[in-house]
Formats: sequence, structure tokens, C-alpha cells
Amino acid sequence: MPITQPAPVRKAVVVGGNRIPFARANGAYTETSNLDMLTAALDGLVARFGLADERIGEVAAGAVLKHSRDFNLTREAVLGSALSPETPAYDVQQACATGLETVLSLSDKIKLGRIDSAIAGGVDTTSDAPIVVSEGLRRAVLELSRAKTVQQKLKALSRIRPKDLTPVAPGTAEPRTGLSMGEHQALTTKQWGITREAQDELALASHRNLAAAYERGFFDDLLTPYRGLTRDQNLRPDTTPERMASLKPVFGRHLGAEASMTAGNSTPLTDGASAVLLASEDWAAERDLPVLAEIVDGEAAAVDFVHGKDGLLMAPVFAVPRMLARLGLTLEDFDYFEIHEAFAGTVLAALAAWEDEDFCRERLGLDGAFGKVDRAKLNVNGSSLAAGHPFAATGGRIAATLAKQLHERTRAGDLGRPARGLVSVCAAGGMGVVAVLEGR
Amino acid sequence: MREETVELPELPSLSKLYVTAAAEAARLLISRRDGGRRLPDARHHVAVVRPDLARLTAYQHLLGEPARDVVPAGYLHALAFPVAMSVMAREDFPLPLLGMVHLRNRVEYRDPVAYDDALDITAWAENLAAHRAGTQVEVVAEIAGGGGPVWRGVSSYLAKGAFLPGIDKPGANGAGAQREEFRPPLPTALWRLGVDIGREYAGVSGDFNPIHLSVLSARALGLKRSIAHGMYTASRALAEVGAQKGDSFVWDVSFEAPVFLPAMVSVNIADAVDADGAWERSDFVGWNATAGRRHFVGSVARLS
Repeated sequence: MPITQPAPVRKAVVVGGNRIPFARANGAYTETSNLDMLTAALDGLVARFGLADERIGEVAAGAVLKHSRDFNLTREAVLGSALSPETPAYDVQQACATGLETVLSLSDKIKLGRIDSAIAGGVDTTSDAPIVVSEGLRRAVLELSRAKTVQQKLKALSRIRPKDLTPVAPGTAEPRTGLSMGEHQALTTKQWGITREAQDELALASHRNLAAAYERGFFDDLLTPYRGLTRDQNLRPDTTPERMASLKPVFGRHLGAEASMTAGNSTPLTDGASAVLLASEDWAAERDLPVLAEIVDGEAAAVDFVHGKDGLLMAPVFAVPRMLARLGLTLEDFDYFEIHEAFAGTVLAALAAWEDEDFCRERLGLDGAFGKVDRAKLNVNGSSLAAGHPFAATGGRIAATLAKQLHERTRAGDLGRPARGLVSVCAAGGMGVVAVLEGR
Repeated sequence: MREETVELPELPSLSKLYVTAAAEAARLLISRRDGGRRLPDARHHVAVVRPDLARLTAYQHLLGEPARDVVPAGYLHALAFPVAMSVMAREDFPLPLLGMVHLRNRVEYRDPVAYDDALDITAWAENLAAHRAGTQVEVVAEIAGGGGPVWRGVSSYLAKGAFLPGIDKPGANGAGAQREEFRPPLPTALWRLGVDIGREYAGVSGDFNPIHLSVLSARALGLKRSIAHGMYTASRALAEVGAQKGDSFVWDVSFEAPVFLPAMVSVNIADAVDADGAWERSDFVGWNATAGRRHFVGSVARLS
């Protein structure tokens, strides 16, 4: 007789989230490590939901810039936190989509009945980035470890050249093209004719919305102060269109007068960590925990960017229509859009692509334009341009922020149905991960 | 005219050939003025050559080729190069070997070569022709495996300032026609090449021509700085065309402005597909964005 499988598919919900404020690179968290920050984010979550000594089904998190000694970063963070040491954990690394991917894969496990609770998260530091030794030194040391005789050892050592002693810091260039992410986006920004004004306007809205969310106390139960920071260090509530317009282009300078990407409309390098508590409905109810939203669905996509067929950060443009077709939804069915602001141009190029009839017909295989995103529903509590973007921590920030927003709107009752939210995160390597959440 | 085949016992040493070439260069200036105006009829042949696995792996890593067991087309060029060089280093070769400029390289890779295949290499020179700046020659190398020819490369070289009697300069409509102005496309890649790249490519290809090795050795030969091997740039472009090209293709490159090291080379690779959407060819070009000068231009195309 075949094995009887336990549970059919059930719902996975967001109970809540916690993050530490995001710091600018070489700012408030200069001396703290990925492990420090991820542990701090977990401990804040434990405190908020009374999870001390709780054995969570599984914890998944990751860091994009990760030292090889942190091979079990997430498990180590669990061991350093107040969670039960019997909580298993694993690391995920999918560039900037790491955080959202942990949310989706853990919620799938909950849906399948394999676990009842989970914590998804991510962390990154550019201040405390791993530095590696040069290829020459690495090879010589490996050869040395294989050497058996003194002669072989000396030969291995003799291969080391003075230049091999220079350490190597991680770069931001795509391995296959040598172009930085900003240079890639500059090409996409130009291709889609996104203006400097439109990018600056989006960046201003991000700062305005994030500042307003802090003002009304929206982040009070989403954030734990850390190392003296109570708000994201990059937030400039008082920045003006004039100040934004005065910044000089930093990417795509070879485009001359068409160069439009500045330090204001591109995300800065940032340090930070985030965590999201996911559960089955029963697990949350048994502990009298809130339920903010349901993780409905997710989709990953990748584009062939290497020879410029598509822009490096355009994968979500392909992922969203595929996911919505499966759900029988259109862009008009959503109340909130969380489109990660890697660069203002990334968001605007995605919106432009979805409105472009030819592109949608030829590349997305649709009958016409995919649709329009109502700008009043876009990143209503600010996004990465204002908050910063510690790569792997962004997915957790977005998932928790959107879940709370959906919950508030659903409770307001004005829609006559649960509020719906769409998340889109682009990632290095031409990838993107997107998700649909529904409020409770 | 009778064709002669010269059997070489093993792959010639390139470093020795370069030393001989330097001595020859001096001697040629004096003695060959009125002598050779014809190419030698000889074909140089080496039997049973096997690629070296460690060097192949180092080559693959340096060029960005996946470390497959199939030998990249550019590595086969490097493997055949000493045989080709030995033809050009012959006493009866009418042009000075040192200072030759690599103008163009065309390779047909017909059948994939595995690293442990026993290969048979033959090289000869043909098509001596006038060029507006001197005299050009084609050096052909053919590699055969157990089942016949698998790879064929034609390298065009220019001996600058060498005008041989009996070979007319090209007319106004010939090779001297003006090049059209280069308008750089948008880059799809950016190569940051350090001064070491000449030495590193020499290490994996065996081509230790002094103009690539260091500023000092390049200066000794009259260059302001060392330059990247043309075949490094061509082979890297070939690698970056990617897996879509498959195992057999035609790879063609023309070299223009030399890449003085260190360098930032902007690169564009454009893919073309046939009516069925299958890969047909990729055109590539590399240039210096500051000076607007083209370094190389070429293509990789399906073998028809």
C-alpha cells in the first residue's frame, strides 16, 4: 500500500516582521558583521512575538556578500538568538532576490504541511565586506597544502609574487559582462527612454512616502532600533527636487547628455538585516498571534542579458505576467505594488515595458499591453531608494511592510474584499522573483 | 614546382623561434634584398600532438571558457602556432618574422576536438600579396584528428614597410580604400585588462612575443607600452559569444588599433537568429571608448 501523504495544500500566512534600521555603508554598522545584524533582527522578532525558546520549523536567510567562514550563517544566527537551539536553518543566496526567495520557499513548505512555522530573512553588509586573497596566493597556498616534501613546499612558496599579496574586494560588476549593475541599468534606462525628471520624481516620492510612514508610526512594530539608529540612515525627509536635480550622473556617463542616473535616483550601498515570521493559520491561532496576510503565489524569471537581448534587471517584467495569468488576475486587480527600487530607472522601465503594446505582444506573448500600474498604489511606504538596499535584507523588508499595509487596508473594509499586493524584486544575473500577497 | 613536406619531430619551441627571428631580422636586412620574392613551397608537419590538460584548463579559465573536455578553437590556434611560426622562420621565407602585424584570423572549427585526441598539425604559407603598407601573407594551419581535418586557421600577417620586387602596390581601388568611420554601438561588456594580461596569455598560449610581455620588452621593440595579444581579444570574444555557438563554427576576426596595456575595452556582441529562431551568428566588436578607435571586429557564425 502506498504511503498516505499527510496534509493537502494549506495556507501560509505572514504573522509579522522585524528589521533593524538600514545604515549607509561605513555608517552606524561599520563594525558589525552579517552574523551580528541577522542575530539582532531575529532577536527583535523573538521579542515581538514571544518566541523565546520556541522551536521554529525552519529558518532560512542569506547574504549576498558572504564570507566563506559564514557557511552556516543562518544557523549560527539562530544559535546566537533567543530561539530554541533545536531550530534548524539553512542559507539561501540568490543575489538581491535572496530575501523574497526565502519567504516563498518557506511558505511552500508550510503550505505542504512539512513545517508549521518559519522565519525568512536576509542580511548584508558592504562595510564589513569579505576580502579574499588573490588567485595567485590562493593557488600557491593550495599547492603548499598538497606538497609533501620540503622541496615541493619551497617550490609552492616560490610561486608567490609580491602582487599576489594584494587582497581582493568584491566587485559589483556582472561576471559575464564586466559592467556594473548601474552601467547595465543605464543602458536599459536609455533603451526605454526614461527621463532624468521621471527618475528624480520617483526617488523623491520614495523619500516622502518612507518619511510619512515613519511619522505616522507605521514602522513601530516592524523595526527594532540598533546601534543608535531608529530610522533608516539614508532617509532624507527634507530633500527637494532642486537638490535632486543638482546631482551629477554617476552611471552611463558614456551616454553624454543622455546620462540620467545619479546617486539620488540609484540606491546607495547599505548595511542591514530583516526577518519575517511565517506560519500556518493553526500555528498562529494556537499562540494567539496576529495574521497580517497570506502568501498567495510566487514566480522566478531570468532574462538573457549577456548580449543585451534584455536589460539585466528586467526579469520581473516577465515573471509578473506569467504569475498573474496563473492566478487569473491583471494589474488592475491590485491595491498595492511593491517594486524594489534598485534604481528609479529599473521601476520605470518595468512600468514602461508593461505599457508597451509591441513589447508585450512580441516578448511577453500577450494580446496587447499588459497594463498600467497606478502610481498612487506604488511603493506607498517608500522603498529602497529611501530606505537603502542591504541586498539580501530587502525581500524581508518588503514582505513585512506590504503584509502590514494589506492587513490595515483589509481591516478598513472599504474594498469589500481583502486587499491585494504585488511584490517584484530584480536581482543580479538577470534574475527576478515576484510574489502575490493578500491581506487578512 | 614541387611541394616539399618537412617533418618536425615535435612542436618547435616558440622562444627559440623568437630568438632566431631576432637574429634573422638583422641578417635579412642585408642579404635578402634581391633574393626571395616567392613563398617557400614547403609544408611543415608535426604528427601526434596532444593538448596539455593543465595548460588547457589554465587557458579556459583565463579566457572565460567553461572547462569542458572539448578544446576551444583559440587553444587549437595556440597549439598550431609554433608550426606556423616555423614556416615563417625559414631562411627562405621572404619577409622578416619580427614586427609582423596580425591583420586577420579566420578559423573553421569543423569537428570538436577532445583534449586527449591525437592531433596532426600541418602549416604552410600562401597568397603573398601587396598591401598599401607593405606586403601581406597568409599562413594556413590545419589540424587533423583520427577521422580527417577538424580545424583550419588562416592568419593574415602584414610585414610593414616590406615591399618585395615584382609584387605591385595596390591601386586606388584596391586594398588601400578608405575605411569607413567607426560609430561605437552601446557596449554589452567592458573588459578591464591589466598589464599582466600579456604575460598571462603568453603563459597559456605559449606565445611569448616580447611586445606582449612587459613595458620594457615592448619598448625594446619600439612600442610605447606592451600590447595585448590580438588572439587573446579574439578568443575572449569567442568565449563570450557563449554556448549557443555549439562545437563547430566559423570564427573570423580583423585586428585594427592595438590594445595598449593596461586598457579598458568596450565590447558589443550582437546575436542573430534564423527564421526558426535558431542561432545563426554573433557579430562582435571591441573599441576604446575614450579614443573612439576600434581594436577588433569579427563574427562567429554557424558552419554552413
